[in-house]
Amino acid sequence: MSSLNQADLGPDSGEAVSRREFLLRLGLTSALIAGAGLAARKLWQPKHFVPGFEKETGLQLANYALEPSKVYPSLAIAHGTEHEKTIRAAMTALGGMGRFIQKGDVVVIKPNVAFDRPPALAATTHPDALRAVAKLVMEAGASKILVADNPINSPTGCFLKSGLTAVASEMNLDLMYPEASSFAPLQLQGEILKHWTFFNAPFKKATKVIGLAPCKDHNLCHASMTTKNWYGLLGGRRNQFHQHIHSIVSDFALMMKPTLVILDGMNVLMSNGPTGGRLSDVKPMNTIVAGTDMVSVDAYGYSHLLERDIAELTYLHKAHDRGLGNINWEQTLHKEVQA
Amino acid sequence: MANEKPPRAGNRKQFVRTQVPSVERAAAVLILLLLAGIGLAIAFKGRHFNPDLYTVRTDSLSATAAAVEGKSGTLREAAPAPVVADPAPAAETAPDASATPAAAPAAAGGEGEGGAEGAAAPTPAPTGEPLEIALPGLKPMSPTEFYNSDNLYEKIDGRAPAYQGFNVVALRCRSFSVTAVAGSFVDVYEYRFDSPVDAFGMYALERDPKGGPLDFAPDGYSGEMGYFFRQGAVYVQVMASDQKPETLALTRAIAQNRAQVLPADDQGLAGRRRLPAEGMIAGSVGYVADNAQGQSTLKDVFQAKYQAGGAELPFFIMVTAPDDAAKAWQSFQDFCARFGKAEVLPDVNGGRIFRAQLFGKWKVVYQRAGEVGGVFDAADAGQARIFVEKYLRGGTK
Repeated sequence: MSSLNQADLGPDSGEAVSRREFLLRLGLTSALIAGAGLAARKLWQPKHFVPGFEKETGLQLANYALEPSKVYPSLAIAHGTEHEKTIRAAMTALGGMGRFIQKGDVVVIKPNVAFDRPPALAATTHPDALRAVAKLVMEAGASKILVADNPINSPTGCFLKSGLTAVASEMNLDLMYPEASSFAPLQLQGEILKHWTFFNAPFKKATKVIGLAPCKDHNLCHASMTTKNWYGLLGGRRNQFHQHIHSIVSDFALMMKPTLVILDGMNVLMSNGPTGGRLSDVKPMNTIVAGTDMVSVDAYGYSHLLERDIAELTYLHKAHDRGLGNINWEQTLHKEVQA
Repeated sequence: MANEKPPRAGNRKQFVRTQVPSVERAAAVLILLLLAGIGLAIAFKGRHFNPDLYTVRTDSLSATAAAVEGKSGTLREAAPAPVVADPAPAAETAPDASATPAAAPAAAGGEGEGGAEGAAAPTPAPTGEPLEIALPGLKPMSPTEFYNSDNLYEKIDGRAPAYQGFNVVALRCRSFSVTAVAGSFVDVYEYRFDSPVDAFGMYALERDPKGGPLDFAPDGYSGEMGYFFRQGAVYVQVMASDQKPETLALTRAIAQNRAQVLPADDQGLAGRRRLPAEGMIAGSVGYVADNAQGQSTLKDVFQAKYQAGGAELPFFIMVTAPDDAAKAWQSFQDFCARFGKAEVLPDVNGGRIFRAQLFGKWKVVYQRAGEVGGVFDAADAGQARIFVEKYLRGGTK
């Protein structure tokens, strides 16, 4: 033990540190901290990102809706037996197509062509409805009409069998089939729809948008009308939203602010929707509903065309509660006419 | 006095190492060098970002991507199946469930199409037997499309869950143009299910109550624009594009063809076969898989409505093992006695019968060997008893 000296004892020995040693240690510690700081500063990459984890961004659709009118109705209900006369009557009640479409407008018409079914089965937008709407839009002076949908099934087959290809050819409308380059990521603060691939190509030059939907039963969400019609603009594996179908459909009222929506209730698919398959599933209701508020239009369609209790249509209540439309169509400025 | 050691508690001795072996010193130096090296490597790597490091490997997603890209439209254009000009009907077979599924996926192609090298190439799409129908005046519009339960939504979208609920296995479908009528076509859908009972269940769910009976398929009906029937485990839909006479005639011919070609299989449908045809209200046949009449013992029950003696009588049949049939009958009687009034009637032709009034409605239920059945929810007890006794005597065909 006699060989033990002071330096071997270390800090635990309780020995006092000399001024020289204290300054030495302080200097070393300060140099280490300064070195670490300098190294961190040198290594810092403010623009560093990891692909796939960057903040998601995407397009936001333009608002194609008109300013609300205090003069014209926002909802028109027309009854008749022929598509053209009835649609024309509904549009006249709304103030005429000229209220919505001006000379030179590029108009996107979004039909529901989800299936390769013939028109009689009422699972898709009827060719006579497209013909009538396109005619009115042309009369209003539109420079171009684009007809676009993204069916899950073969687009060419769906457009062909539904009879819309023939109408497009006959009236020189531009049919836009979805291609890989037609899609772009959409950014939305929806209840469930936040960031998703969207059939954007038709909207690049569009100045006005019209939704033209059949009124039909739907196996999952009770009804497919003008609000659900926008589902056909999503790309990818969109069926995964079926788990939250009422949320996603209500998000469409946020996603799309169309100029006009038209609900074709001339022949309504009352059961076995959305595909149908039998004429017995179809009931003639001889009604066209047109308006600027898709929630109001669908509320009328569900209660008066599908003849069901509006209380059960969750997605419409969600949209109403979020201020995206008015489910109480009776409270809106509306007009009912006979063609 | 500053160098004086403070007093220590107890007799503990301090551990002080006076000799550190050179090996230990070398190891310590090595560890320090290694740590410094790791630090330098991290610093170097951090300053030289490799963008490939976090890039999503699309090839690993090819299986899922293909299903999207490979929707039937893409498939149709990318990999058209050969169309047989004059196929022999004898060569036609029902789709093989093991071969049919997942047709669309990888035919979709995309980057790996055409046998691209490496693991990124999608697996070639399995397909089933093409749907060939050799009838004069009929021409295929497109190749046969194939779907399985997972990608059925690509064809029928939101309707798919209803079919999945009955264990659909596959769908093959094809469109045929009617050569005599420009623009007319006929769609043929063949949904293959897990069992004939499943196929019947889906068929019954979609049945048109106004449909007319078919002479070539017992579980079938015709509508104004199509024919719908179950054949074996397949639910067949043959739909015309319009009501033109030539189109409707070919639609019927196709339906008859499918009924002949598809193998008959009524496994699990014995109850359905025993439902008498006489007096049956068209389109009223239904199937209840479990808990029929609120009875856990009544499973795989077939029921239909009948017009008899001016009354409408719902009638059901369950076919099972004799012991199970006896238990079900007894259990049903006990239930009726507990919640209403039940009495045993005299046996008829080997069948034992009870009659019960429950919640204002009448039931007359029999059991004979492995069969339990009877009239339920009848307003007229007399007619219900007459109907059941007549059935047991074989008087109702």
